[in-house]
Amino acid sequence: MTLYFGDIFPYLPIMLEALWVSIYVTALSFVVGSFLGLFIYLARASRFRALRWFGRGYVEVIRNTPLLVQLYLIYFGLGQVGINFNPLWSVLIGMSLNNAAYTAEIFRAGINAVPNGLREAGRALGMRYDQTFRHVVLMPGIRNVLPALTNQFIILFLFSSIGSVISLDELTAVLENLNSQTLRTFEIFTIGALLYFLTSAAIAYGARAIEKVAFKW
Amino acid sequence: MVRTMNFDFIEYLPPLLVGAGLTIVICTASGILGSILGIVFGTAKASPSRIARWVSSLYVNFIRGVPILIILLFTYFALPLIVPSLTLDRGATAVVALSIYSGAYMAEIMRGGIQAVPKGQSEAATALGLNYFTSLIWVVMPQALKMAVPPGIGFLIALVKASSLVSVIGFVDLTRAGRIVTTINQEPLTTFLVVALLYFIISFPISLFGSWAERKLA
Repeated sequence: MTLYFGDIFPYLPIMLEALWVSIYVTALSFVVGSFLGLFIYLARASRFRALRWFGRGYVEVIRNTPLLVQLYLIYFGLGQVGINFNPLWSVLIGMSLNNAAYTAEIFRAGINAVPNGLREAGRALGMRYDQTFRHVVLMPGIRNVLPALTNQFIILFLFSSIGSVISLDELTAVLENLNSQTLRTFEIFTIGALLYFLTSAAIAYGARAIEKVAFKW
Repeated sequence: MVRTMNFDFIEYLPPLLVGAGLTIVICTASGILGSILGIVFGTAKASPSRIARWVSSLYVNFIRGVPILIILLFTYFALPLIVPSLTLDRGATAVVALSIYSGAYMAEIMRGGIQAVPKGQSEAATALGLNYFTSLIWVVMPQALKMAVPPGIGFLIALVKASSLVSVIGFVDLTRAGRIVTTINQEPLTTFLVVALLYFIISFPISLFGSWAERKLA
């Protein structure tokens, strides 16, 4: 068999369009999921035992079951009780709920990494509780957390490929379609892998650049 | 159509348990192969040789930037076109793809472990007259492996979850068994809840073991 990438180039715009779908699905569910994750973290850190158990249970259940099964539950499973989502909504909901558990753990680790002495020092300097939390705990916490959040974003982006299994037309689904159209299997999947790789590398470099600018101190 | 949930599930449980068994088998196989790959490439990534570092960085960074689903589809559909002798059945494809995948993540964990061993250790070994390989095997490696165990176990959980994707190339693992059962009993909600529960039963003990190992080895 001979390799010929020339057949593939006309399809590049379609692939890039599908890559964009992957990216915005990821970005949207990352934002929504991180917001949810903050509440899950707060539940885990709360004074109420029931809330703590709910937070812990949520994190453990989500982190110990595959995203694919979670998507199947939302896409196929909820249909059984009359709740039907289209593939896009199923993926958005599934990835957001999934991401929430991981970001909750990242927030927990980041906030816990701020030493207690700092908090006490803030209080000793006469700051109120909320001021101490904002200036002494939250800002260093965010800085602690950013690299892990970037990592989680990239992992979520890579796992958005699972959307293809429930027929969301993101990059992987389009690659499989193009594969059956052109039969240039090797070329298609090589270019597809490169697109994923270049995007996640770009995300990593971009995030590092932002960190350098935003956290000079 | 709205139907009520039916937990009278006994007759569908055996095929799901067989699927769960196969999930455990491919995860064990690719976990072991991936750890070996990880030790080799992780050591190369922390080695003084520029070429070794470059080659292993290429492997590790590329695989970590590509979805496991693409690696699976590539191994299953594309690789046999280039290397016809690599025409593998679904189970072998699953193990190969998952091993390549976990090798890259394990390598990164291993590199972290090696670099966390204090410099003084290998310097002392050099001062005692050990060459690079003897000091690596007898001084650095035992300490590095100990540090790599907790995150390595953490990755095993990720591997179990990623293994659900081998269902896409038609290997009848736990997820695919669940899909097949739903086409028979028409009860996706109940079935996938049971599938999720079985994944949890596989994965949760690993995560408990991981946090135990972390306390024990830290």
